[in-house]
Amino acid sequence: MLSRVADSLYWMSRNIERAENNARVLGVQLIQMLEASSEDSLAKYDWEAVIEICGSLYEFNQLYDHFSINNVIDYLAFSEDNGSSILSCIKFARENARVTRDIIPTDLFEVWNDLYLESSNIYIPAGSLREVHHFIKRVKIASLTSQGVIESSMSRGVPYRFIKIAKWLERAEKTTRILNVLSEKSSQDAERADGTNYYYWRSALQLLNGYDEYLKKYPPRMYEKDVLTFLVTDYAFPRSIQYCMDHVREAIIALEGGRVSHYSWRMYAALDRLMDDFDEMKLKSLDVHQISSYLDEFQDRCNDISEVFSQTYYLIEPSHVP
Amino acid sequence: MFKPYESDHFFDEMLQQNGTTKLHYQAFHNMINQFSAEELREKHETAQLSFLRQGITFTVYNDNVGTERTMPFDFIPIIVPPDAWSNIEKGMKQRAEALNLFLEDVYKEQNILKDGVIPRELVEQNPNYYREQVGGVDIPLNNHIFLAGIDLIRDQQGTYRVLEDNLRNPSGMSYVYQNRYVMRQVYPEFFNRHSIHSLEHQLSNMHDAVLAHAPKNCGEERDPRAVLLTPGMYNSAYYDHVFLAQQMGIELVEGRDLKVRNGIVYMKTIRGLQQVDIIYRRIDDEYLDPQAFNPDSTLGVEGLLEAYRKGNVAILNGIGNGVADDKAMYAYVPEMIRYYLNEEPLIPNVDTYFMRNEEQRRWALERLDELVIKNVGASGGYDMLIGPHASEEEIAMFKEKILENPSQYIAQPTIQLSRAPAFQDGRFYPCHVDLRIFVMRGDETHVLPGGLSRVALKEGSLVVNSSQGGGGKDTWVLKGVENHAQQSS
Repeated sequence: MLSRVADSLYWMSRNIERAENNARVLGVQLIQMLEASSEDSLAKYDWEAVIEICGSLYEFNQLYDHFSINNVIDYLAFSEDNGSSILSCIKFARENARVTRDIIPTDLFEVWNDLYLESSNIYIPAGSLREVHHFIKRVKIASLTSQGVIESSMSRGVPYRFIKIAKWLERAEKTTRILNVLSEKSSQDAERADGTNYYYWRSALQLLNGYDEYLKKYPPRMYEKDVLTFLVTDYAFPRSIQYCMDHVREAIIALEGGRVSHYSWRMYAALDRLMDDFDEMKLKSLDVHQISSYLDEFQDRCNDISEVFSQTYYLIEPSHVP
Repeated sequence: MFKPYESDHFFDEMLQQNGTTKLHYQAFHNMINQFSAEELREKHETAQLSFLRQGITFTVYNDNVGTERTMPFDFIPIIVPPDAWSNIEKGMKQRAEALNLFLEDVYKEQNILKDGVIPRELVEQNPNYYREQVGGVDIPLNNHIFLAGIDLIRDQQGTYRVLEDNLRNPSGMSYVYQNRYVMRQVYPEFFNRHSIHSLEHQLSNMHDAVLAHAPKNCGEERDPRAVLLTPGMYNSAYYDHVFLAQQMGIELVEGRDLKVRNGIVYMKTIRGLQQVDIIYRRIDDEYLDPQAFNPDSTLGVEGLLEAYRKGNVAILNGIGNGVADDKAMYAYVPEMIRYYLNEEPLIPNVDTYFMRNEEQRRWALERLDELVIKNVGASGGYDMLIGPHASEEEIAMFKEKILENPSQYIAQPTIQLSRAPAFQDGRFYPCHVDLRIFVMRGDETHVLPGGLSRVALKEGSLVVNSSQGGGGKDTWVLKGVENHAQQSS
């Protein structure tokens, strides 16, 4: 397969996943905002976390002269200046789908093209939360449908593996980012008052769509360590970092026919190093203050892997590799 | 529901002069009469939407901003009876064959110039004549024309005439398929009472034709690898490229995906470089190789021409075909057919006058309001004067243009283009149509049954180009024997 096509499949898949993740985060936050309306100061604090998770607070402050819910919604959902806004992700994914449509299933193109056509003509009056929720729901359904099309109709060949690797990498990174941002907020808060931690960890579970699954596995108590263990090393929860990275590895092995070649060993080495650092025991031995830097490091490693991966398959022109 | 209209002094595909329906349209006419206006409108909307949903769009540029648009679709098909088709098919094969012999000749022996059949300067001063780059090069099958798109019109008497040859990068084949697909989806009832030629095997014929062009250094021991080279998704015909690559099962590549090393063309894959043998390119000659043509081109591949000259790669359509399909050379095609094939043209040209010829120019300048003036280098309906529809200012402007640069222009009588009914915005009205025929040449020659019927949907307009408001229609070629059997039952 052409490297350019592989690259496009990769970014199509990452942007589909990112659109869904960011839509979910925004949706969860909009509901929490209503529930927490009495604690106004806390709410603004939360929004900053959400902006950090789905974009950048620095960029937000550059683009808008003041903080308001409408500005946040605009930034996260619709802004063309934000490359990770939901609308931007929809566009990038569609653009990449358009240049690979000789490879991807027709249904996949049509599902995403529909979403694109609908959302590029969308008009949402400021403050109309109902419309925003409708949009979020539409994005989630389109992503889930796309994944369904991919699973049910694509041959398990090279294009399929690229799509999957991209999806799992994107997901692992998002989980790390959410945990990272929230653990920082939580440790800042812990110095002020007790009990607020609970709020952050529940929120992490909700942002990652893992609240229900967590409750099935752990008693209905939010212990920081339990939540972290669940979201980082749980082998069965499909948004835990462990699960995502296991699947990246599995897909790469399938792509390489189980062999390690001269061009792929660096990729395996990077993956192994990441997984070594990463078992449950190690996590449990950390104390609260260390978690944040631990997650920082993990996020860097994830980025390394994306880069090694791109180099291995010539997704980046050699001259562009630093 | 269908109301006949006066067909005036135009030839109409569906109606007789007196408004009655022609024999080969009767079954179709009866069929649409069973639908209410409301049903037809609804179906029309479904059809239009289906193009958008499937992303069957072309890009229109306005101030450098590209907008994706669908080609308007009209559900009333152009129906071609079997005997008329058989004549078109033969005529198109004949024309493509003569044009190919012409190309082979002007890039090698130049006999036709030596014999004075075609003025030498017309070839040698043609900006699309690339003798320096490709003169004397042997190419697979000696075939320069892998795919031709030949535009036909019908005059007042209903005679098919060739309006234009497209031997470089004719586009629109995907629309033929999608028009048929949408027709079958949205108007399945229409097909019940007709037996028409299917399009199904044509793409495998096309694939075979591509692979028949293995370059001489490819060798027997491995299968040649073919790719389709596109300028990319911002090209207006991008959907056409995607469709053809997908249907033929060949890789769709861009210039940046290819690399020439030691005269061999490779594509960059996730497993490294892989050799490419045949390139069906949809990039114009000028942009193909910055070393040999336009040095500013970023679409092309450096060193491609060298690989081509060495016989390491085949390029379809051939490089330099533009010398045979501009509007000045067009007038000589009937002569080419006589010269190379010793046959009379089966499908005639439209009469053409050269503004470079003093006598013809003087004659034409006196009656610009009756003629059509075309720039020999332009296409897509641009830089064109349609005398009877033009204002005095426009006529004066073209007069100046012609005097300033006479060899750039030709004149043709205004043909009363045939019309066919169209259904848009809830009503039927007659529109002018033309027909692009696709001829595929490899070991064998195939003509796609039907082709792309283009329709000028703006009432009274003669311009069918999709960039200027033209639309498409499905084209049905009726099967011979079966059809008669059905009509009698």
